[in-house]
Amino acid sequence: MTLLTVDNLHTRFETNDGVVRAVDGASLTIDRGEIVGLVGESGSGKSVLARSIVGLHSPGRIVEGAIDFDGVDLTDVSASTRERYRGTDIAMVFQDPTATLNPVFDVGEQIAESLRVHDDSSGQSLLDFCHVPLVSDRSRWRRHRERAIELMDQVGIADPEDRVDAYPHELSGGMCQRAMLAIALAGDPDLLIADEPTTALDTTTQARILDQLRELAAETDTAVLVISHDFGVVADCCDRVAVMYGGEIVERGPTDRLLESPEHPYTRGLLSCLLRADDGRDRLPTIDGTVPERFDGGPGCPFASRCSYGTDDCERRDPAVRTVGPDHEVACHELEAVRADDSPAAAGSPSESTPPGRPRADPSESVTRDRARADGSRTIDARGRSGSAGGSADRGDPILEARGVTRTYDLADSAIQRAFGDSRTLRAVDGVNLAVYPGETVGLVGESASGKSTLAKLLTGLEAPSTGEVRFDGEPVGTVADRTADQLADVGVVFQNPQGSINPRQRVRETIAEPLLERGWDSECRRERVRELLDLVGLAERYGSRRPHQLSGGQLQRVAIARAIALEPRVVVFDEPVSALDVSVRAQLLNLLADLQRRLGLTYLVISHDLDVVRHVADRVAVMYLGEIVERGPAERVFDRPSHPYTAALLEAVPRIDDGTDATRLEGPIPSGVDVPSGCRFHPRCPIAEPVCETDEPDSVAVGGVDSHCHFAQQVASRGVTEDSESPRDQSPDPPDTTTR
Amino acid sequence: MYLLYRSLTATVVLLGASVLTFGLVYLTPGDSAETILIQQTGHQPSQEAVESFREEEGLNEPIPVQFVDWLGSALQGDLGQSYYSNRAVTELLVQHLPATIELAVASMAVALLVAIPTGVASAVHHGSSIDAGSQLVALVGVSMPNFWLGYLLIIVFALTLDLFPVAGTGGLSHLVLPAIALGTGMAAIVMRLVRTSMLEVIDREYVDGARAKGLRGRIVVYKHALRNALIPVVTVIGLQFAFVLNGAVVIEVVFQRPGLGTLLVDAIFARDYPVVQGVVLVIAVLFVVTNFLVDLTYHYLDPRISLGGGTR
Repeated sequence: MTLLTVDNLHTRFETNDGVVRAVDGASLTIDRGEIVGLVGESGSGKSVLARSIVGLHSPGRIVEGAIDFDGVDLTDVSASTRERYRGTDIAMVFQDPTATLNPVFDVGEQIAESLRVHDDSSGQSLLDFCHVPLVSDRSRWRRHRERAIELMDQVGIADPEDRVDAYPHELSGGMCQRAMLAIALAGDPDLLIADEPTTALDTTTQARILDQLRELAAETDTAVLVISHDFGVVADCCDRVAVMYGGEIVERGPTDRLLESPEHPYTRGLLSCLLRADDGRDRLPTIDGTVPERFDGGPGCPFASRCSYGTDDCERRDPAVRTVGPDHEVACHELEAVRADDSPAAAGSPSESTPPGRPRADPSESVTRDRARADGSRTIDARGRSGSAGGSADRGDPILEARGVTRTYDLADSAIQRAFGDSRTLRAVDGVNLAVYPGETVGLVGESASGKSTLAKLLTGLEAPSTGEVRFDGEPVGTVADRTADQLADVGVVFQNPQGSINPRQRVRETIAEPLLERGWDSECRRERVRELLDLVGLAERYGSRRPHQLSGGQLQRVAIARAIALEPRVVVFDEPVSALDVSVRAQLLNLLADLQRRLGLTYLVISHDLDVVRHVADRVAVMYLGEIVERGPAERVFDRPSHPYTAALLEAVPRIDDGTDATRLEGPIPSGVDVPSGCRFHPRCPIAEPVCETDEPDSVAVGGVDSHCHFAQQVASRGVTEDSESPRDQSPDPPDTTTR
Repeated sequence: MYLLYRSLTATVVLLGASVLTFGLVYLTPGDSAETILIQQTGHQPSQEAVESFREEEGLNEPIPVQFVDWLGSALQGDLGQSYYSNRAVTELLVQHLPATIELAVASMAVALLVAIPTGVASAVHHGSSIDAGSQLVALVGVSMPNFWLGYLLIIVFALTLDLFPVAGTGGLSHLVLPAIALGTGMAAIVMRLVRTSMLEVIDREYVDGARAKGLRGRIVVYKHALRNALIPVVTVIGLQFAFVLNGAVVIEVVFQRPGLGTLLVDAIFARDYPVVQGVVLVIAVLFVVTNFLVDLTYHYLDPRISLGGGTR
């Protein structure tokens, strides 16, 4: 039974530069109890469509079309009626839970509010909601708070009685998103809209939240609209998918059909941008160009300008919506041409840069797939040498090395507190050895709070280790304050969020030239070098005079990369370089990183919580948990046959468009570095933990070229091998359970 | 734990303030013993008189010893005698303090009652005529010297319309005009701050989140947005308290209210150092106490600001 029908909706924003047609004729239906995905790049109009449905599209205006919700056209009712639908009938969950929860109220209060609204949506009194004594109905609030605890339990928040009084900053991101879910569920809505519900979360947390959404739809018959730029996320939980571009739905259909036989060139492009386990180190297919800042709104297909099948007809005439299969519709003029391009080998990317025939996984190809490398050391690496510190002859000496590095933070922030005996410390990085050899790419993976970024800061000298030392080229180096100009120039850094790491007031040219200026280059040389760098990172010269707010996220990250390589460093450290970006942009940037490494002979350290990214770029990986490296070794080996249960669990959590199996999930959040668990740090969350894990800290065990800190490394790895041999494409073996050990 | 920590820091601040206050006498030109005797007797004292006075008052002791003596008696509530009226300084302070506190509280109340709703309305109707109007009024309020506003108010509301008494103390009616005169400048500053702060907060995701729950606009604005917007405002209100005390000195003279301001001005003109010391010390204490309260309010408004303990 259809619950929501969006018909030919147009939402526009009046800006100083003219009208922005954010949603431009989108149509969509959702049935009760169904999960529908809405996919598209940033700027394609997904969020505005969602906000139009909830009625939060202000300052935009709905100028045309209808939103039929359970028989009522929401575009045709008064603002106060619209308000009554919000929360009670249609609820929404937003992208960043830590930003959507009000930081100054505890979660119990925020859930109780939602319950109160649902109870009595017309009689909201400000004094009552502000808990003014005597005016406020205390007993009712108390009842709602008790209900809130039940709801928290329902969405999977452990110890809800304790957590009900917690403030958002005291909870992890995943916990906050669950609280948001509880708020949304409090109103017992018929439709739940989740706008990028997991984009701000760890892979492990993402998997659990998506499970929750699925259960919810199944149990309560709630319809769910999941919005994401990531096809993997949507594929993981949706019955049907709609693909949006330029404010229009260009293709929609059942998830399976869309994944198996995508028709629209845009859908194909998005799918091909996804990183796959079997990608090896190939250049990734990309979608040419970027989403334009505004669409002209004239006739024609919005994708025509980026589409390799585009004809004059596409520019001139709106494509008709064609039904191409059961419940599968697509709006494209050139379907025949697109299909003609199909061959069993070519997955059909519209991009010119796609190599024909994306290779399927084939272990024998693993070496040939590797990029040609000047020193040829990679082949040796891949042949399964352990990555422990103190490298040997065939690899030369490490260029960047951490030796027994520990970084602790005092939690007491004043002398008086310390005087009163507050001596709690947080161990962010705990006795880590890590060596990076010239020309290779080392990947560092782990959940948030595992200490990855702190380790990067120690290696780059942005922080000083509490104990241990960092060596560059065999020489101990201090922090940036102590390093020589040459040492500083030799290490470049790129951070996750370019909006935060680039001065918003400087022009791009000035940003890139800053390290040159610091080094004393004269203005002529600087200008020449900036031109060179812009070219290297694939930005046109005119971008030099732009300011950061005029650039997209992907372009800004290119600027950050240009700045990092300005002084021809030998090592570049990337801290989550593509996490904030769309899949299509991510593919472009990963290609850029590979090009730069090849052309400039760079050594990379890439930090990411995204295993697919690390798998794609890294020769060797180190897996970090609670400040320690629990597993390290050649990338293929670690990802194909993990020998630590933590690595296995991380792999398990990655949403896949090609597995429909229910995976085991990592339980609970990462513990705090203040109270580190005894024995093996992972034991409280480990699916195969034994009593010994609680008492003894595991030593390093070498399993087929991989170093693993697990008492049962052999078993974990061999379990992976059997899985792996059965299905070469499936990279994620089930973590062993206790019965089979 | 936190209270203990804060009291310790507050004590350090007060100790610093008392050193400065005590130092006042030594920083003033001339021999203090001589000055005091001239003021008490009205003629040039003999050398012996000065010597014996010094001996008597302990002025020959080393300065640190004198300070400890002074501090010891100050802690017992003895701030010495006024040179002029021969009354205990403490007694004078007790007599004048209530009028000033009354004025300070009333003007703060006037300022906040006007500033917060106007600032909120201004931000919510950003760019409208309400916004433009309140911005203009705020500009005028900030630019107008408070004593001049005080005289204007007296002329219009006391002399012409005869709604309120011209000066002096008494019931609430005596408080209205001085409170407005003193509160206006502060209201203007706070209003602008509330507006800016609200504008920053109103686009935050949690405001959308609150709307998405189905909460009414007023609750979204006054509960969810304002609570966050007030956090930076509270700091300024605390610091503005110094401004209010400064202003009180002038306003009390304008409205002839017998408060600390009047006492201080008179004492300065008369070189009545013990009284000056006492008033300055009381003002310092008031300031430290207010900011202590501000810190507590802070924690109430923003649970992320921890009271002692770790920051995580």
